[in-house]
Amino acid sequence: MHADTLTASKPSASEPAQAQALLTVDDVHRAFGGVKALDGAHFTLLRGESHALVGENGAGKSTLIKILSGALARDTGTITLEGAPYTPANPHDAKALGVQVVHQEFNLLNDLSVAENISIESLPRRFGLLDKGEMERRARQALDAIGLTELAVTTPVGRLGIAHKQLIEIARALQSDSKVLILDEPTATLTERETSRLFEIINDIKAKGVTIVFVSHHLDEVFAICDRVTIFRNGRTVTTENIADSNPSQVVQHMVGRSFGERSRDRETVEAEDPVVLRVDRVRTSVCPHEEGVSLAVKRGEIVGIAGLVGAGRTEFLRALFGADPLVSGEISLHGEPLALGGPADAIVAGIGFVTEDRKEEGLILSMDLSANTSMASLDAVSSAGLLNFDAERKMAGDGGARLDLKYSALSDPASSLSGGNQQKVVLAKWLARNPQLLLLDEPTRGVDVGAKAEIYTILESLANQGVSMLVVSSELPELMTLADRILVMADHAIQGELARKDFSQAKILALAYGQAAPDTPASESA
Amino acid sequence: MMSDTQTVGSIPTPQRGLSVRGIINSAGIGLALLLLIVFFSFASEHFLTPNNITNILTQITINLILAVGMTFVILIGGIDLSVGSVMAFAAVVAGKAITLPGLGPAELILLATTAGVLAGLACGMLNGFLSAYWSLPSFIITLGMLNIARGAALQVSDAQTIYSFPRAFENFGSLLISGVPVVFLVALVLVLLAWFVLTRTVFGRIIYGIGSNEEAVRLAGHNVFAYKVAAFSICGLTAGIAAIIYMARLNISSPIAGIGFELNAIAAVIIGGTSLSGGRGSVIGTLLGAFIIGVLANGLILIGLSDFMRQMITGVVIVVAVILDHYRAKLAGNG
Repeated sequence: MHADTLTASKPSASEPAQAQALLTVDDVHRAFGGVKALDGAHFTLLRGESHALVGENGAGKSTLIKILSGALARDTGTITLEGAPYTPANPHDAKALGVQVVHQEFNLLNDLSVAENISIESLPRRFGLLDKGEMERRARQALDAIGLTELAVTTPVGRLGIAHKQLIEIARALQSDSKVLILDEPTATLTERETSRLFEIINDIKAKGVTIVFVSHHLDEVFAICDRVTIFRNGRTVTTENIADSNPSQVVQHMVGRSFGERSRDRETVEAEDPVVLRVDRVRTSVCPHEEGVSLAVKRGEIVGIAGLVGAGRTEFLRALFGADPLVSGEISLHGEPLALGGPADAIVAGIGFVTEDRKEEGLILSMDLSANTSMASLDAVSSAGLLNFDAERKMAGDGGARLDLKYSALSDPASSLSGGNQQKVVLAKWLARNPQLLLLDEPTRGVDVGAKAEIYTILESLANQGVSMLVVSSELPELMTLADRILVMADHAIQGELARKDFSQAKILALAYGQAAPDTPASESA
Repeated sequence: MMSDTQTVGSIPTPQRGLSVRGIINSAGIGLALLLLIVFFSFASEHFLTPNNITNILTQITINLILAVGMTFVILIGGIDLSVGSVMAFAAVVAGKAITLPGLGPAELILLATTAGVLAGLACGMLNGFLSAYWSLPSFIITLGMLNIARGAALQVSDAQTIYSFPRAFENFGSLLISGVPVVFLVALVLVLLAWFVLTRTVFGRIIYGIGSNEEAVRLAGHNVFAYKVAAFSICGLTAGIAAIIYMARLNISSPIAGIGFELNAIAAVIIGGTSLSGGRGSVIGTLLGAFIIGVLANGLILIGLSDFMRQMITGVVIVVAVILDHYRAKLAGNG
C-alpha cells in the first residue's frame, strides 16, 4: 500500500547468482515427532542482498530461522557459511559466526537503559567494575550506525515505543560483527511511518554490506525492500524468485499451491425458482431490543452472508437459529415445516449444523482424538445399543478427512495437535458427517492461514453446489464478498439492508453496518 | 497439488479406548505401585504374606468402590464430597431394612441391599440434579449433602448402631476365594464395568467430553444435564454398594461410618492420574491409586511407622500426584 514511498531501494536483481553466495542451505530436514517441520529446505543467500522468506504459518520459516540462529539443530542437510560448514550449537555460536536474529518478541530489559540493553551481552569492564563511559560510547555508536541519532542512550527502554524497541534490538544485533541479520516479522507491530523508517534503516545496513533475511506476511513490504524471495510450503522450499521478475499474486500462488480468490461456484446466481430451505420470521433473541426481530429466507444451495459490526447481534442470531440459546419470539421453518427448537439436538435432527465462532471453546474437544471429534454429533451412526463401533468411527473420520483434504498424521492424534485451519476442517467434518441441509457458520476462517482459508472457501462452495444452504457470519468483508451469493447487513439486531452479488462493495456494506443508509424495508410499528 | 502432505486412510491408527498416552500414564502409576510393593517386601517380612495380601485387599475394597463412582464425577469436572456420609445413610437405611421382623434371611438381604443401594442412588441423583440444573459448583452442593446425609443417618438410626444381621450376610463379608476376599472381587467387577462403560460406550465418550469441553458437547446435540445427573447418580450408587459391603464386613451399621472416606476416594482418583479439572483419566488409574493408598497404609504400619507418619506420607503422595497431573496437562495442551 505504501510501496511507492519505499521504491527508492528497489533493486536491480541482476547480481550474478552463484558468485557471491554467503550462506547456502541445502536439503535441510527437521522433524518434531512425526511432524516434518522442514522437509527439504534449499536456498542461497547472496552477499549484501535482502532476501525474503515467505510462506503460510507452519510452512517451515520459523523452524529454519531457529536452525540458522542455533536455537534448534537440524536432522539432516548441510548449511555452509562463506564456504565453511555452519553448525552452530547454540545462539551464542551463531552470533560469534556473524548470524544475528531479531525476533518478534523482544528480549529487552525494560528497566535498564538503552545503553545497558545494547551492551548487555558483553558489558565493558574496568578494574572489574562496569565501565559506564565506555558502555555509553559504544551504545551511541551503535545507535548512530542505524541513524537513531536523536535517542539518548540513558533512556530506560520501558519508556520507548515498540518501533524504537525494535530498532534497539537491531542496534544490539549489529553491534557485533554481523554478516547476516535475520528480521523475523519486524513490521508486525509497527505503524506505516515506523515501517518506512525501519526500511530506510534496513537499506542503510544493507549498503554497509550486511545481508538481510526478511520474514514477513506482508507481500507489499517484501516487494518494497527485498531483492529476492524464497517461498516455503509444507516444510519445503517451493522456489526462489527475483523480486523484479515476480509479482505478489504469483508468490501467493506458490504459497498456497493454487490460484487464490477465484470463485468455484458452477452457477453465478441462485435461481429464483430454487426452493426456500430456511425461513425465519421476526426472530428475537434475548438481547434483541426491538419487536421486529430478524426475518430472512435462504434458498437451496444459497450462501447468504451476514455482515455487521461486533455487537450487531449476528452471533446471537445464529445461536438462536441453532437452539443454542432460547428464542424469545418469532418463527423458524425448514422446508416449509415449522421448527420448534428446544435445544441444539432439535436443530441437528432437522438437518442444521453450526460451525461456531470459537472452535477451541465451542467447536472441538481439543484433548480428544480426531475420530472422536468427527463423530461427536453423529454418535448414533457409529454405535449400536450405546456401544461404540470404533471401526465405523474411524471410517467416518477418515472419509471426512479425505473429503476435506485434512492434514494429520493419525486419527488417534488429539485435535490440539492440528493447525488452526485443519482444526476448522475437523469441525466441518463433524457436521458434514450428518449431511446437513443448512450450515450456520460463524467466522468460519478466524485464525486460519491464507492457504487453509482458500481450501475452506472451496469446500463451502462445493457444498453449496451440492445443494447445502449456508448462513455465513463474518467480519472479513472480502471473505463474505468471495463466498456469498447475497449479503445481509445487520446492525442493532436487525437487518439493515441486502446486497445482491453484483452490488457488493465494502463501502456499501460498511455504510449499512454503520446505519448510514435507511433500511430498505419500512419498519413495522413497534411497541 | 498438496501431494506432499499426509492424508487420510492409509495411515494405520493405534488401537482406541486406551490411548497411548493413557497407557503411559497408567504404566507410570503401576510402576510406582510396583516399586512400593518391592520396597515393602524387603522392608518387612510380613508384607508379602498371603494373610497380609488378603488384609490389603479387604482394606482397600470400600475405598475402591467409592473411588469408582468418584471417577465419573471427577471426569465431568465435578467433585462429590458427600460419599462418606451418603454411605453411612445408605448403611443405616439398609440396616433398618435388614433388621425388620417377620421376614426370612434371603428376603431381608434382598430388601436391605435394594434399599441401601437405592438410598445412595437417590442422594447422588439429588446432588447431580441440584448442581446441574442451576449450574452450581458441585463442591458446595455435595458439601451440603455431606451434612444432610450424615444428619439423616443419625436421625433415621436414632444415633444408634444397628447390628445382628442374618448369618449368610455376615458370612459374605468375610468369604475368601483362594485368599481373595469376595468383597474385593465385587469391587473389581465394578472397576471392569466402569472401564467398559467409560471406554467403549457413547455414555463414556460423552462423560469425557463434558469434562473437556461441555459447550462443544452441548452444541453437538447432547443432553449435558442428563449426563451430569447420571455421573453423580453413579457416584451415589457406588456409595450405596459400598454401604452394603461395609455392613457385611463389619456386621454393624453405624450412622457415624465413613467419616472422611470421601477424601480417600478423591485421593485414589487423583493419584490414579485423573485430572481434577475433568476430561482426562481412567478408572484403571483409580484402581492403581486405591492400591497405592492401601499398600502405603498397610506397609508403613508394618515397618513400624506411626499412623501420623502414614497420614503425612499419604498427603505427600497426593501432592506429588497433583504436581504430576499439572505436567501432564501441560503436555496435553502442547499436543
